[in-house]
Amino acid sequence: MQYCLYARVRMAEPLERMTNLLALLLETKVPLSLQQIVTELDGQYPVNTQAQRGAFERDKAVLREIGVPIDQMVLAGDRAGQTAYWIDRHRYELAGLDLSDDERRALQMAVAAVRTDETWGREGLLKLGAGGERPSRAVAATVPTFEALPPLREAVANKATVRFGYRDVDRELDPYGLLLRDGYWYVIGHDHAHRQVRTYRVDRIAGKVTVGEAGSFVRPADFDIRAVFPSDPKLLGEPESEITRATVRIDPIRATLVAREVGDDAVVARHPDGSIDVEVPCVNRDAFRSWVLGLTSHAVVVEPADLRAEIVDWLQGVAG
Amino acid sequence: MPRHGPRPAPERLKRLLVMLPWLMERGEVPIAEMAAHFSITEADATLDLELASMCGLPPFVDEMIDVFIDEGVVYTGIPRVFTKPLRLTAPEGFALLTAGRAAMVLPGAEPEGPLGRALDKLAAALGEDGVVVELERPPLADMVARAALTSSRLDITYWTPARDEANVRQITPRAVFADGGHWYVLADDQRSGSERSFRIDRILDARETGVVDAPRDVRLPDANRWFADDADIERVTLRVPAELLWMIERYPIDSRTPDKRDSAMVTVVMPVVSEQWLERLVLRLGQRASVVAPERWITLAARAARGVLDRYESISRDS
Repeated sequence: MQYCLYARVRMAEPLERMTNLLALLLETKVPLSLQQIVTELDGQYPVNTQAQRGAFERDKAVLREIGVPIDQMVLAGDRAGQTAYWIDRHRYELAGLDLSDDERRALQMAVAAVRTDETWGREGLLKLGAGGERPSRAVAATVPTFEALPPLREAVANKATVRFGYRDVDRELDPYGLLLRDGYWYVIGHDHAHRQVRTYRVDRIAGKVTVGEAGSFVRPADFDIRAVFPSDPKLLGEPESEITRATVRIDPIRATLVAREVGDDAVVARHPDGSIDVEVPCVNRDAFRSWVLGLTSHAVVVEPADLRAEIVDWLQGVAG
Repeated sequence: MPRHGPRPAPERLKRLLVMLPWLMERGEVPIAEMAAHFSITEADATLDLELASMCGLPPFVDEMIDVFIDEGVVYTGIPRVFTKPLRLTAPEGFALLTAGRAAMVLPGAEPEGPLGRALDKLAAALGEDGVVVELERPPLADMVARAALTSSRLDITYWTPARDEANVRQITPRAVFADGGHWYVLADDQRSGSERSFRIDRILDARETGVVDAPRDVRLPDANRWFADDADIERVTLRVPAELLWMIERYPIDSRTPDKRDSAMVTVVMPVVSEQWLERLVLRLGQRASVVAPERWITLAARAARGVLDRYESISRDS
């Protein structure tokens, strides 16, 4: 055959061999076994069978690591039991994006302004044709990243059920969405064991996220991720329980900040000395106590009496 | 930033696979421009291209990647393979989408602009995913951000938690950033003559002074641990019931060790910004938590609790 003429004198560098392997698997019309690959890449793999297999496995691992989708199948017939490999060009190529220059530039600015994982963002930008200097920004944000996030995002997009460990329990979830709120990432979805919508903090997920088959669930049409839990931690709790309203006296020094935090509507009295009374909802007592004690001696619960007594008891416990 | 030393093969291959389609699209490009675009040295770029030109498969061994360098210009011939970049990996797609969505909610973002269109295209390519990024900001953030863009000096009334008092200071905002659920402004503080970060939700009031300073580039502090790595900051050792750990998870922690004798308790070592901050924390943690070290803070919680109880007594008498 023609290519026998091109037998190489020198052993190829691993990088060169990997590039050739990649080109071969992209070009081939039929899946190729290791034996066929070695023949095609004449002289580039070691002759010793074991060393050959080892080198091929390493190359394959590197290609997969950088995101190359290598497909494989076990052959039948006269080559039964052998594995054959190929790359589907449609799955390999980045297609259908066609960003204009200003859109590319806008994404570049976004990656510069928002600090997630810098390497991921930069690699992605290069593929989209944006490169060069990182523009500096006067307005920026840090968005935390965790290894669990990319697979979770893909699972949400593909409607694939995921499994992960959380507080020592294996969870099975149909993920409906991801929400970054108050600096934390949450994954929200239908929990199989609990048969209801649950929220999990992504930074608390232990170990790897296992992603199942695509198209394994349907997200409810009316699902609204922002509505799943209230933004005010004082409102976290059992929805059916009655909401207590507490009146809290705030010292002048903290009055402006607290009024801004709870909203002017919640200010129920303004006193001549500059202190104010605010009315705040209290469903979750732990969250409420944490909020009011965070204001130390600048906040005093006026009403209701039982809530006030609870705080006083807590303080007496600490005072010893 | 160009890197030095030998680069690992996976990294070089990854780079090559974006470099080739980029070159093919252009046909010819100065090597300096190419090196700048990919943030590598010209020497590395040359090495990678030389290697690429040697790759080949039968029957087109010497022409698979047709690329050569002449007089500092890279020429790329009719492509055969690697005409399109490798698809985005899951982490790359995630990073681009979240960065884009976060940038859409930054002060000054234009939802109708090119970023919005780019994100629509990305979401269409990567699959609609229900990712929502919230960076809710305090009312003054936009005004402070505008001041940072124009280097305008502001008079601000700022509540300092460390001293639990509010005072007026003059600052020149340089950058505004969100981190861990809070917004900060990095500014030149006229009083101390140095660069400082202020939490924007603690700015009670801000007014333009009319003074405009010379623009200056600043480096934003490193994510998350931006005050905690300071070795000068004092540390506290706390013993905390495990179920109350949620209260301190928001803060940087040096170490966290389960108690050997009592599995319900955890020992935590963490930086303390100020005694007032620690006071608030131990009050909220309650009587089941305690300070182990340093000694002078062992009775801090009890003292603070008595102080608050005094307020409760006086306010019950008033009303």
